[in-house]
Amino acid sequence: MLRMSLALFLIATPAFAHHGWGGQEEAVTSLTGTVVQGVSMAGPHATMTIKVANDVWDLTLAPPPRAERAGLKEGLIPVGATVMVRGNRNLDHAKHEMKTIYIKHGAAEYHVYPDRE
Amino acid sequence: MSLPHFLTWLEHSPLGVFMRSLGVWSYGVINLVHILGITLLFGAIVILDLRLLGAWRQIPLALLSRPTTTMAQIGFVLAVCSGIPMITVKSTDYIGNPFLLIKFPAIALALLNVWLVHRSPAWQAHGVRELTQGEQRLLAFGAGLSLLFWLTAITAGRMIGYW
Repeated sequence: MLRMSLALFLIATPAFAHHGWGGQEEAVTSLTGTVVQGVSMAGPHATMTIKVANDVWDLTLAPPPRAERAGLKEGLIPVGATVMVRGNRNLDHAKHEMKTIYIKHGAAEYHVYPDRE
Repeated sequence: MSLPHFLTWLEHSPLGVFMRSLGVWSYGVINLVHILGITLLFGAIVILDLRLLGAWRQIPLALLSRPTTTMAQIGFVLAVCSGIPMITVKSTDYIGNPFLLIKFPAIALALLNVWLVHRSPAWQAHGVRELTQGEQRLLAFGAGLSLLFWLTAITAGRMIGYW
């Protein structure tokens, strides 16, 4: 039993590594908006910002190497483009921040965290 | 210049621009150097400080002080040389992060403590003659402060990413 839970823990850990998802909602939220700042591959996580109605949302993506494996590159989604994203938003609704699982831009789909879909 | 202004300036500095251009593995690699620096620094300091606090008394202090201080210095240089470029990558993310305001004062206090201990007559005499009880207590006090300040700096540093 202990060995099994340890194995489960080890399997579950990589997705929770680093900043973790503890501060995010369980529920998945969909947003459609326009790109304000395109994908940045710098830092511990790839990021982008989009504008939805009057709010600017900070989207936290996977660590850069993983975001790249999902097909993302800097400059691939231009500023002003319409995107649909799914993810887990911050528990604090005053913050427009979302850990992003999936991005759709036109016909292109980016599965940033396929194990969370 | 206020801290938010400084962090904004840092992000737009040539170093920040350069750091963001280095590809998807660059942050992970520089983070690795930072962690290696911290492990060398703290690993060496723990041994010296515990010796000063009374552990492993059979090992002469003069035998331990040289390798531990050398490795701690190397670790500190690695941590600074990786830490500065790392913070320039997205400096503005740290605006309002309270752990930043714990980490850097803790490092300043730790360095002040190193300076005070190293210029104390007790430290300067430790390789030359037996230390008196009072001198040993003074160095033990400095070692306790050292552990407190470095542990605070490391803890706050780790928590920066979780704020």
